Amino acid sequence: MKSIELVRNFLAARQGIEAARIVPEARLADLGVESLMMLELIFECEDKLGIKLPEDLRTPKTVGEMVDLMDGLLASQNG
Amino acid sequence: MMTPRRVAITGLGLVSPYGGDLADFFTRLTAGESAIRYLSTDDPPRPLSMPFAGCPGFDPDAALGTPLASMMDRFAQLGVAGAFAAWDHAGLPRAAAGESRDGWGVCWGTALGGTLAYEKGYRDLWLKGRDRLSPLTVLLGMNNAANAHISIQLGLGGVSMSHTVACASSAIAIGEAFRRVRSGEAPVMLTGGSDVPQAYGVARAWGAMRVMAPGDAETATTACRPFAADRRGLVLGEGGAALVLEDWDHAAARGARVHGEIIGYGTNSDHSHLVRPNVDGQIRALRATLDDAGLTTADVDYVSAHGTATAEGDAAEIAAIRAVFGERAGRLPVSATKSMHGHLLGAAGAIEAIATVLALRERVIPPTANLGPDTLDPACGGVDHVYTGRPGVRLRTALSNSFAFGGSNAVLAFRATAH
Repeated sequence: MKSIELVRNFLAARQGIEAARIVPEARLADLGVESLMMLELIFECEDKLGIKLPEDLRTPKTVGEMVDLMDGLLASQNG
Repeated sequence: MMTPRRVAITGLGLVSPYGGDLADFFTRLTAGESAIRYLSTDDPPRPLSMPFAGCPGFDPDAALGTPLASMMDRFAQLGVAGAFAAWDHAGLPRAAAGESRDGWGVCWGTALGGTLAYEKGYRDLWLKGRDRLSPLTVLLGMNNAANAHISIQLGLGGVSMSHTVACASSAIAIGEAFRRVRSGEAPVMLTGGSDVPQAYGVARAWGAMRVMAPGDAETATTACRPFAADRRGLVLGEGGAALVLEDWDHAAARGARVHGEIIGYGTNSDHSHLVRPNVDGQIRALRATLDDAGLTTADVDYVSAHGTATAEGDAAEIAAIRAVFGERAGRLPVSATKSMHGHLLGAAGAIEAIATVLALRERVIPPTANLGPDTLDPACGGVDHVYTGRPGVRLRTALSNSFAFGGSNAVLAFRATAH
């Protein structure tokens, strides 16, 4: 699964947000992703993509930052 | 000290094993219809099968919306859905507007809390070999999750408390809420309880106590037989039940319909044994409630019994009723609705309180199902057992008993509003 699809699926299921709104420049806070939901989203990413996010993670602010972060980890940890 | 306030019941709501609304619940209950079915799962590693009063038709996403439902364990989902139903029934808007709700509160009963969330965690860690859990696990599992969500969703800024007192949890929650309205501390309290006892480990733990009635797909509906000579124990159930308690003048000022009045509450401890019922403790609880309500035994028209269908519990409860009511006990209608909706543990006191309030309002006494004069245990005799729904009776005042493992007793007293 691509990282962007994972974010879209998660937000569609949890928040009922349509995929068209989940674009790279969209701010996660504007999509209702507050601190607790960010933890859930990180858990979901680790779970579904088989990656491990660092403890000292700099919290991504936008969908694009989240996707870039995951894609980078996917490449480094599975590569 | 402030003059005691009269406490109106202005909202009733539930998610019951019958699957329908309040009217459906009471119609089926007074008809003597059982909601108990045979639960059989194929969950690995071992299946679970037992007579059970479940709510399989409950759709948390439809009732609460997915964003909210996904933040809750099933016990909180059932509880918040029941609370919303009671709130709507009371004619109160979900969103606070105008009057401050800073003093309005929640007292909620749950015996178990979010055991499904914790059990999922155990399965993930120990069965699936995972090394971490969802970050929501604590928030789903905590015992005060239901009352926390209720306070947040309805903007209630007063107390938000959970009461965990085994089978008396929600009776005690209702009683504590009642005291807060009667004292003038809170104009409105939302109270009730919810529980989900079908986590595999929980159900097996109950089974190990040898208090669960056996049964199969053929016999599940008659598995729970309170006061019968051949009773074999209780049947667990899940659900959520809620009442809105309101200062009488507050209710009148907003033109709310009053469904009944709560007039007394007594609670105490047997202080003798963890599970063996104690007649003296129950007698004291009954008398404390009569005193609190300013009632004599002659005033009571019906007792909704705790009546779980255990060998010792039923006989002790009837002995306590006989001792308190004396010669009048033989003419005192008594029934145990757990025979039909099962034992909802932390929701039991609340669903039975609702049944009692509706009995007073509709003047119909629900029966003890699976009981007749020919099957009555002589040790449970000496009261007027209600074998079939009894309509058209004089009903002004009723008691509802809840007696818990651990020795905690709670009795609530209700009065009908003028017909």
